[in-house]
Amino acid sequence: MADTAASASGSGTRSGSKHSTNPADNYHLARRRTLQVVVSSLLTEAGFESAEKASVETLTEMLQSCFNVDTLPAYAKRSQRMVITAPPVTNQPVTPKALTAGQNRPHPPHIPSHFPEFPDPHTYIKTPTYREPVSDYQVLREKAASQRRDVERALTRFMAKTGETQSLFKDDVSTFPLIAARPFTIPYLTALLPSELEMQQMEETDSLEQDEQMDTENLALHVSTDDSGAEKENASVLQQNPALPGSRNGEESVIDNPYLRPVKKPKIRRK
Amino acid sequence: ERVKHWQGGAGYNTHNILILLCGSSLSLQGFVELTIFPTVANLNRIKLNSKQCRIYRVRINDLEAAFIYNDPTLEVCHSESKQRNLNYFSNAYAAAVSAVDPDAGNGELCIKVPSELWRHVDELKVLKIHINFSLDQPKGGLHFVVPSVEGSMAERGAHVFSCGYQNSTRFWFPCVDSYSELCTWKLEFTVDAAMVAVSNGDLVETVYTHDMRKKTFHYMLTIPTAASNISLAIGPFEILVDPYMHEVTHFCLPQLLPLLKHTTSYLHEVFEFYEEILTCRYPYSCFKTVFIDEAYVEVAAYASMSIFSTNLLHSAMIIDETPLTRRCLAQSLAQQFFGCFISRMSWSDEWVLKGISGYIYGLWMKKTFGVNEYRHWIKEELDKIVAYELKTGGVLLHPIFGGGKEKDNPASHLHFSIKHPHTLSWEYYTMFQCKAHLVMRLIENRISMEFMLQVFNKLLSLASTASSQKFQSHMWSQMLVSTYGFLKSISNVSGKDIQPLIKQWVDQSGVVKFYGSFAFNRKRNVLELEIKQDYTSPGTQKYVGPLKVTVQELDGSFNHTLQIEENSLKHDIPCHSKSRRNKKKKIPLMNGEEVDMDLSAMDADSPLLWIRIDPDMSVLRKVEFEQADFMWQYQLRYERDVVAQQESILALEKFPTPASRLALTDTLEHEHCFYRVRMAACFCLAKIANSMVSTWTGPPAMKSLFTRMFCCKTCPNIVKTNNFMSFQSYFLQKTMPVAMALLRDVHNLCPKEVLTFILDLIKYNDNRKNKFSDNYYRAEMIDALANSVTPAVSVNNEVRTLDNLNPDVRLILEEITRFLNMEKLLPSYRHTITVSCLKAIRVLQKNGHVPSDPALFKSYAEYGHFVDIRIAALEAVVDYTKVDRSYEELQWLLNMIQTDPVPYVRHKILNMLTKNPPFTKNLESPLCNEALVDQLWKLMNSGTSHDWRLRCGAVDLYFTLFGLSRPSCLPLPELGLVLNLKEKKAVLNPTIIPETAAGNQEAASNPSSHAQLGGFQNPFSSSQEEEEIDMDTVHDSQAFISHHLNMLERPSTPGLSKYRPASSRSSLIPQHSSGSDGTPPTKPPWTVELARKGAGKEQSPLEMSVPAVPAAPLSLFAKEAAASKHGEHRRRHEHKKKKKKHRHKHRHRHRHDARERERDREPFAFSSPASGRSARSPSLSD
Repeated sequence: MADTAASASGSGTRSGSKHSTNPADNYHLARRRTLQVVVSSLLTEAGFESAEKASVETLTEMLQSCFNVDTLPAYAKRSQRMVITAPPVTNQPVTPKALTAGQNRPHPPHIPSHFPEFPDPHTYIKTPTYREPVSDYQVLREKAASQRRDVERALTRFMAKTGETQSLFKDDVSTFPLIAARPFTIPYLTALLPSELEMQQMEETDSLEQDEQMDTENLALHVSTDDSGAEKENASVLQQNPALPGSRNGEESVIDNPYLRPVKKPKIRRK
Repeated sequence: ERVKHWQGGAGYNTHNILILLCGSSLSLQGFVELTIFPTVANLNRIKLNSKQCRIYRVRINDLEAAFIYNDPTLEVCHSESKQRNLNYFSNAYAAAVSAVDPDAGNGELCIKVPSELWRHVDELKVLKIHINFSLDQPKGGLHFVVPSVEGSMAERGAHVFSCGYQNSTRFWFPCVDSYSELCTWKLEFTVDAAMVAVSNGDLVETVYTHDMRKKTFHYMLTIPTAASNISLAIGPFEILVDPYMHEVTHFCLPQLLPLLKHTTSYLHEVFEFYEEILTCRYPYSCFKTVFIDEAYVEVAAYASMSIFSTNLLHSAMIIDETPLTRRCLAQSLAQQFFGCFISRMSWSDEWVLKGISGYIYGLWMKKTFGVNEYRHWIKEELDKIVAYELKTGGVLLHPIFGGGKEKDNPASHLHFSIKHPHTLSWEYYTMFQCKAHLVMRLIENRISMEFMLQVFNKLLSLASTASSQKFQSHMWSQMLVSTYGFLKSISNVSGKDIQPLIKQWVDQSGVVKFYGSFAFNRKRNVLELEIKQDYTSPGTQKYVGPLKVTVQELDGSFNHTLQIEENSLKHDIPCHSKSRRNKKKKIPLMNGEEVDMDLSAMDADSPLLWIRIDPDMSVLRKVEFEQADFMWQYQLRYERDVVAQQESILALEKFPTPASRLALTDTLEHEHCFYRVRMAACFCLAKIANSMVSTWTGPPAMKSLFTRMFCCKTCPNIVKTNNFMSFQSYFLQKTMPVAMALLRDVHNLCPKEVLTFILDLIKYNDNRKNKFSDNYYRAEMIDALANSVTPAVSVNNEVRTLDNLNPDVRLILEEITRFLNMEKLLPSYRHTITVSCLKAIRVLQKNGHVPSDPALFKSYAEYGHFVDIRIAALEAVVDYTKVDRSYEELQWLLNMIQTDPVPYVRHKILNMLTKNPPFTKNLESPLCNEALVDQLWKLMNSGTSHDWRLRCGAVDLYFTLFGLSRPSCLPLPELGLVLNLKEKKAVLNPTIIPETAAGNQEAASNPSSHAQLGGFQNPFSSSQEEEEIDMDTVHDSQAFISHHLNMLERPSTPGLSKYRPASSRSSLIPQHSSGSDGTPPTKPPWTVELARKGAGKEQSPLEMSVPAVPAAPLSLFAKEAAASKHGEHRRRHEHKKKKKKHRHKHRHRHRHDARERERDREPFAFSSPASGRSARSPSLSD
């Protein structure tokens, strides 16, 4: 029985190797073969001498589908277990041994020696650190400051090297290079507009403020409805308009400001 | 009450139409229509103001009218004149301005009413004057900003706006350029379709032109408004309707809309405030704010619109600019009520408007920034005006020029005339406004705020009633405020007599200088206070009247009102408490608070803690008061008034003791203390520490304090990451390092510890989590670095190189280099950091660490840099010019004054040169030479005629460099007597100068010869009967004007002689008129160049005038010339006699001669210029 199974598996392997060159298929075939060996040995353990190929297949399927991992270690350590001889090695992976760190760990006793060796220790062993990670406030500040300074220095030096410069000392132009002053065509724009970074920040605060404004103005709406003074009511109604989200598009039609009115066509044209 | 009406045409100008077409390149075509109601028959000439405009055609009621254009201010004294003394110039300039003063019925443009209309005029029927004109590349009045980038004008952000100092509207269209001539307006501006034209009044409609490429903006201003309050701004503006007040519209240049939104978001509160306190609605139906580049002034208010500098715009992240901008907005709004809506009757009433607008602005300050800030501001203003008046000799708010006799010329101490706003030094005018406001505050103190506001309300409601009326001859004058009317209103409302106050502060210049000291008489338990006054120094006056003194005793604070009288110096003030400092009891303060004090420091015998003189600042004064150091310390610690605290800080500088140190440190630490006081304490502490350097113990002053307040608890050398939510501590954080850097050790060097500390602050500065920008903070850190610099130790004048650079300075330079370079990549708001870096580099140069070299600053001073950078760089160049006595740089600066495109920068250079002059009149300098004198003379004489402010700035500089008399570097005249020109008092001795000048044979040009000239050119003379000039009223160049008038006049109209400007004297340029034949000239009627050329050649008047007006018959010229020469001679003759006597008698005094006589004398007395060479020189050089 075991022989047939073995032969069957052998033929399977052969056919497998014949038909597929794909490593994934190879793996599946090898796995299945191993499982068949396991099933066969289990059957042998249970006292069978031979089994039909179909029933071995069925048992293999069953094993595959209902496999309780938890009970496995206990089962593996049972007294009368049978040790299966190593299957013929097919595609022995050749691992380059260029990088070695530390000692390879030997297999624990319950793992057969033919099983692949543990990977190199550097792949799973915690590497001992030589420095504590920076968490001290002072150091952090120090670091941030010097980093920024270095970046700024490098950047400005680069700019100075690639462009025109001015110098405070006639004899030396490189120690304190000043990027040359260049007039702008519209100087007030760079002077007044915040940088993009600042602009972002500002938008954030702006939206916050707008929310607040809307809140207060919605409040004003309620207050004004209580107010009996007609004049005041008008004023507050006017005030709310821009803040009401719905009216935002139609704002221009609500506000009567001469600068928002459409430009008229010349009179003669109209005639 | 005076009733003001425009005398120029003896009628009222009631309605104006102005139409402007903007051309493509810095030019405008214009049309103006004035509606004039004559008030006298015989009106045959109408005078208007106009400068720069090229006038093509004038029509009156559709009839062509002849006109003459003459502007004596173009060239004040004639170029051939070698007269170079400022006294002469100032008189001539004042006369020239008078000669075109609309309030005196004068103007540059004289229009003759066609004879066909004389009957019409006699019936007092309305006249409509149509003037076609163009304006090509104006140098003043309108300012064009055209960035040189690709694209259309709109894409480039090109814009234009009206600007100027006082009434400057005449620079851009012909008008009656007076604040007192009100009329309604219709304004039309046709501009590129991508542009917006913002002007006064309501925008009625905007209409496309037929080709759809342009738009016409139609404005209506129905509230009567003076031409001087008319303004215009055209540009591709972004439009923001105020979300709170829809009738308010804001305009800014492209891309700045987010900033505009933030900046103007506050304005409605200012509106509400003013409307509430004045109980009066904003008078105009709309309001516009326009933010423009290259502004002439930061804030300019015009009827229903204000023009601001675009540099006032800021985002929500900027702290420092916010209050400044808000103040500008509030200031401009205050001026909308008083200044625009309510205008002034005459120049001498200006103080009322400036005073009221300044006063209500002050009330806004008080409400917005609090009482401490307000009092601090008042103190600051008071100190400023006191310092200025003591320096220059006084600011007179209400000058009266009665009767032409000016025996006591109110402004004899000044080097300019105060008769006209256009002759005033800018600094004087600034101080004038400051004083006006302070005096208004004194009036409030006197009559209470409630009455004060009632008076304002009364003025406003009268004006608004008047404004809604159709034109009636006297009604609209309610919209003009006069000193008389204002005072009458005050006495009506309050029932109080404030005449003494007015007499003291308004009709008289000068401030009071008190010296106070005291002794405590233990036996009588009396405080013997001695108050002396200095009223003999220039700029001072004697004070007589009540004076409040507050005495803080152990038992409480007591006010005493002393009567300051003629001869009483000592005042006995009884004390309330016996000295008893053993009793442990709380001490009551003025505000009712009771505090514990450690009384161990005080004098055991005296119950006095501190004494204050005039605590409410109700006198314009300077007080120097002596009290013991511990009293100042108590005052600093316990007096609640911020002004008192500041005064004590100032006084403690003189007491460098541990006790002072402690008092200052405690103040600095005290969180409830006003932040400005704490800032002042920083600087005082630095001074004290330096005085105590040998005994100082512990770390450098303020270091541990700063560490405690702003550094991390765990690592005291690292500053916390920035969080500027509390503005008080932000300002303190900014200031303390700057003050600390002033500390010096025993070797007079900045302690290494302090420098390292500041460098660390810079290094660890971290703004990532801050809601606000730290640009001002970083800038101040650079200022701190600059403050730490001390003079380099120089060994045998070695050349400054990198190798011998001090290591500390190397560190400083490293920072400055990095900051300055980073600015190129990440510019800070308003480039504050670049500004500080430039200043610091100049400090390093000046202290000999870095070779002194202006090249860097000159590159930053170029046009195209942000204005703040330019000013900082120019300041450095000015300083370099002074320190290195560089002629080259001075020339470079002078060149910039004449050519720079930005008027503000030109003004600033002059201003900085005046403040930090390369030399002064008392110093010998290689820079002082004849060429420079000529250059500056030319600058103020003719080079700055398009900008009043610039011309006055040039006069200031000339005064600073050379004084009032003839500059000492000029060679003595060849044939003159040996004269002493180095005057001790810098006061011109008129008996000497004329001789000098008379001896100068070169002096050929003179105003009176122009007077002769004037006659030749007048083509009208051909059609008119000639009239001999009345030489008794006509002097110098003024003859010219009168002469013209005569030419224009109908045959002998006696009623008109009174309209002849009798008080003016000026030199004039030759000019000619056109249009007398009724056809528009093909060529522009005049050009400046031609005029100048003419002036240059004027030695031979006949020759000159012939090419100018070739059509005029020569015979007439000759006749006219003979006539006027005859007159001249006659007069001269008389004068020679007078003159001789005069000189013998008053050889050394008579500056204060009656102006009339001075004027009479002038042609001879002041110069050869005034005298032709042949006739006079012999008699004068005797």
